[in-house]
Amino acid sequence: MATIQIRGLVKRFGPVTAVDGLSFDVSPGTVTGFLGPNGAGKTTTLRILLGLVTPDSGTATINGHVYRQLPEPLHQVGAVLEATGFHPGRTARAQLHIQALAAAADPSRIEDVLDLVGLADAADRRIGGFSLGMRQRLGLATALLADPEVLILDEPANGLDPEGVRWLRDLLRGFAAEGGTVLVSSHLLAEVAQTVDSVVIIDSGRLVAQGPVAELTAGGTGLEDAFFQLTKEASR
Amino acid sequence: MSELVFPVAVPRARRIRLTRLVRIELLKLTSTRLGYGLLAAVLVLTPAWTSIEASRAGKPNGPAALFTASGQTSIIAGGAWALIFAIVLGVTISSGEFRHHTATNTYLAVPGRNRVLAAKAAAGAVGGAVFGVAAYAVTLVVGLSFTSAHGYRLVIGAGTLADWGVGHVVGAALLGAIGVVIGSLVRSQLAAIIGVFMWTLVIESLIGGLFESARPYLPYTAAAALAGLPLGAANFGPSGGVAGVSALPFAAATALLAAIALAGALIAARTTVRRDIT
Repeated sequence: MATIQIRGLVKRFGPVTAVDGLSFDVSPGTVTGFLGPNGAGKTTTLRILLGLVTPDSGTATINGHVYRQLPEPLHQVGAVLEATGFHPGRTARAQLHIQALAAAADPSRIEDVLDLVGLADAADRRIGGFSLGMRQRLGLATALLADPEVLILDEPANGLDPEGVRWLRDLLRGFAAEGGTVLVSSHLLAEVAQTVDSVVIIDSGRLVAQGPVAELTAGGTGLEDAFFQLTKEASR
Repeated sequence: MSELVFPVAVPRARRIRLTRLVRIELLKLTSTRLGYGLLAAVLVLTPAWTSIEASRAGKPNGPAALFTASGQTSIIAGGAWALIFAIVLGVTISSGEFRHHTATNTYLAVPGRNRVLAAKAAAGAVGGAVFGVAAYAVTLVVGLSFTSAHGYRLVIGAGTLADWGVGHVVGAALLGAIGVVIGSLVRSQLAAIIGVFMWTLVIESLIGGLFESARPYLPYTAAAALAGLPLGAANFGPSGGVAGVSALPFAAATALLAAIALAGALIAARTTVRRDIT
């Protein structure tokens, strides 16, 4: 059974239909890229999946539950939706203490994840002084703190330097190799092509294509060319 | 085609306990400087205000002379700044989630939004209670110092002073919870804080002036009554007594403020708290 299941999802904001009958699955042990042009409905879909936005119809479940009904959600799902979503006056360590308390996670995990994301030396600095890349790393640290089975990330490579992008790629590949499920939205198609096993491409809130990267690029085209071709055909 | 999946109900016992949610909110509160800054403001403004009132006592347009019960009440009771800043603290606890875009992480950790609201209200009450204790301790020391410096005997009984202390704590705690509700209903932190000051410094006076019989039921006035002030004697809000109308007794004022907090929380839970986090 797929870890993540989206079925007939519809969400309208006034006259705008952000998500329009979207359905797809994400399997365990894979990294799945969630791609689409700006305004395609990616972030709205992720927010519905995470219980932050209520759909007009359809369901979005993780391990068979809607997010709001997941037992111990932070132990099942780690999510990073916005790198700016931290109080600027709080230190990174305090932020992780709060997250650990919410997740009932072992406090020793705080040092582990700080080391993992390379923020151990900045742990006692206020987040307001962090670069975007450091905030992304802190977001990943909060997501990984409770050792979840699923990672859901929205543009996690934004602000990361080349070394950080490589580190992120290795992290996601390693996470999936251990049986974890990763759904990651990104605009960086070249990077996605190196990281993901399969992709879900949407445009105007509708599914355009879903499948292994190898299948989509079987004609000898790269992922970037396949993406543009598919979204162009969909918008006709 | 994949099978349809229906959400499965989760036993309530697997939710995070409310006490842990309150601890989370208190940890959030104590891990930034804003709460300490507001407490510092209370600790500066309260003795300054008490000193000004004490120096004006017995003079024209000032409080009654310090050897009278009325004069001593005017400088020791009331807790004005603790009450106002308790509301502001509560506002920042809830509206700060939207100002700093932290609501996403909060609701990812605890998807039950009404329980988050309840925990925030409890944290606002705890923070407000701290403000009440701090303000009363300071005003008591300063007020008694002025009284004894003039060689006057304290004419207010120890039991009354203790009641006022409890009233400072209860009043500021309930206003802290009300502040959380206000911040949940008005997500704009700046608008909510301006609204709090407008209400306590201006609007409550206007309403109390227009509808004199309604004065005891105005929230700031009721909280000031808890903190020991007779009707019309609060530093802010409607001034002057009204024939046949007196401040609410302790239990009634407590019930009124608790009812306002509860009613506001129910409205927020049915409206703004449910909104999409986009």
